[in-house]
Amino acid sequence: MRTGFLALMLETMLTHPVSPLPRPARTHQRFSSGAVISVEAISKSYSGRCVVDDVNFSVDGGEIFGLLGANGAGKTTTVECLQGLRRPDAGSLRVLGLDPNADHARLRRSIGSQLQQSSLPDRLRVSEAVALFDQARGRDVMAHLDRWGLAEQAKTSFADLSGGQRQRLFIVLALLNEPEVVFLDELTQGLDPAARRDVWQVIRDVRDRGTTVVLVSHFAEEIEALCDRVAVMDHGRIVDTGTPRQITDRHASLTTICFTPRRGLDRQRVARLDGVERIEEHDGQITVFGTSSMIASVCAETLESGRGPDDLRIQHPTLDDALVNLIGAIQ
Amino acid sequence: MTAKPLSTTRHSMSPQLTERSSGSILRHLIVTEAKLFIREPIGLIFVFAFPILTVLIIGSSFEADDPAFGGAPPSAYYIAAYIGVVLAAVGLVMLPVHLASYRERGVLRRFQASHFSAWALPVAWIAVATALTVVAIATLLATTQLVFGVPAINDLPLTLLGLALGIWTSINTGIVLGLALPNARAAQGVGLALFFPSFLLGGAGPPPAVMPSIMRTVAELVPTNHVVKAIQQPWLGIGSSTTFHLIVLTLIGIVTTVMWVALAHRVTAD
Repeated sequence: MRTGFLALMLETMLTHPVSPLPRPARTHQRFSSGAVISVEAISKSYSGRCVVDDVNFSVDGGEIFGLLGANGAGKTTTVECLQGLRRPDAGSLRVLGLDPNADHARLRRSIGSQLQQSSLPDRLRVSEAVALFDQARGRDVMAHLDRWGLAEQAKTSFADLSGGQRQRLFIVLALLNEPEVVFLDELTQGLDPAARRDVWQVIRDVRDRGTTVVLVSHFAEEIEALCDRVAVMDHGRIVDTGTPRQITDRHASLTTICFTPRRGLDRQRVARLDGVERIEEHDGQITVFGTSSMIASVCAETLESGRGPDDLRIQHPTLDDALVNLIGAIQ
Repeated sequence: MTAKPLSTTRHSMSPQLTERSSGSILRHLIVTEAKLFIREPIGLIFVFAFPILTVLIIGSSFEADDPAFGGAPPSAYYIAAYIGVVLAAVGLVMLPVHLASYRERGVLRRFQASHFSAWALPVAWIAVATALTVVAIATLLATTQLVFGVPAINDLPLTLLGLALGIWTSINTGIVLGLALPNARAAQGVGLALFFPSFLLGGAGPPPAVMPSIMRTVAELVPTNHVVKAIQQPWLGIGSSTTFHLIVLTLIGIVTTVMWVALAHRVTAD
């Protein structure tokens, strides 16, 4: 009975009162075919101020690679160097085997870009934008817009599009010429949660079709939900690289379980449970800190006549926690 | 950590599609830019409506034999002068606002991150501005022909040379202002601040004969004055300083060309 209740309780906790876990990124790389991007010791300064400092990383074919960091961390400058929009002061870059500056014109035919600070002319209509940026002759523009849910806006001027529609159009333009690598910089900035999740699904679909995605964001939840690997940047340097889970495990706070204890709860016994690091008690509520392995045994201790506390909440550490701790520790 | 060579087996385009030639891409860009210029109301008002409306008013405001116009009928004098107004509107209002707006809003970066070459947009701007100028002048002449009649051209080659130099300097000035000024609001403010003195003192306002000497001296320093005189004098067969005005326009054209080539890096990043 106790085991059955535990299962029920855990299921309930994982669906309602517990902080929802972000959808895990797919970790397999179906299209992986070695590094398509390599960055070796690049640096970039503006007016003597170093914004990218000795950055190294590589991106494998078919993965979603994230660059995560606060505003001003050097993420955008790094990807702009990768796209040949800026020239690094030092170091070397290769994208699809090409130098982004020396082979800019050739590379542009194989990559797609959604820039953080870019726009389209206000009076340019959606269908005109697609036709203008299309390198191919013979594409059915309306069918293409319909595929991305923008057919109804085909005659709408850019200025009259909503924020979500504009971002969707930028994705359409970035992917229009079927690039091998696509760079998406702060793609969902300003979108409401529903629109953001729609865009996330689009990015997953893009990756599933074999395109390598480089995603720049200061939004850890987005990186955690989408990326196979991530590089965390701070003050122009990469401070850690790995899967979102690896970075969370290395730098995030502990899992916490918070509840109002039943009468007679043996705090000493809870403190000795496997995975528990410490217990704190404030205003009649107990907070247990530890690793995720403690969850089942701590929950079992909360039972009284088969009933658990109504206010039990479990908080899992997130990449956001890890980012705060990581950057905070450096500063 | 070595990136793989560019794939030669995976085509970046579906097989039923063919890649556009660079000429086709440029033509498409020019047509699209033309549509965008035409949809910009402030440019259309200053380039098309303002010169036609004002030449009809001022051309009807003087007696036909007024001696202030050096023997030419006032309407004939002003028709040539208002061609200069069209050129001033293109170079001081339409182009600067359009270009500065592109720079301010990141439109240039959007183009830079695509398959367009760095020179595609400047070429498109020059092509569209030239075409719109010619259409605006043709519209001005067609309208004035209906109301006043357009005088015969006394020296066609020299008149066309003056017009060509005027178009060249006007477009160059527009590109320089559009690249030099920080944003569209500044471009609009500076452009209008330059346009109205150019309009009033450049030949489209009171004739120089009725101005006090100090204002005549100031008017002679206004570049639009040289544009107007370079067209007006050979057209009507009046005045004797056409060569001087053509030389001044050539120098302005060379200087503004050097300036906008020097500012061309603002079309691209870094």
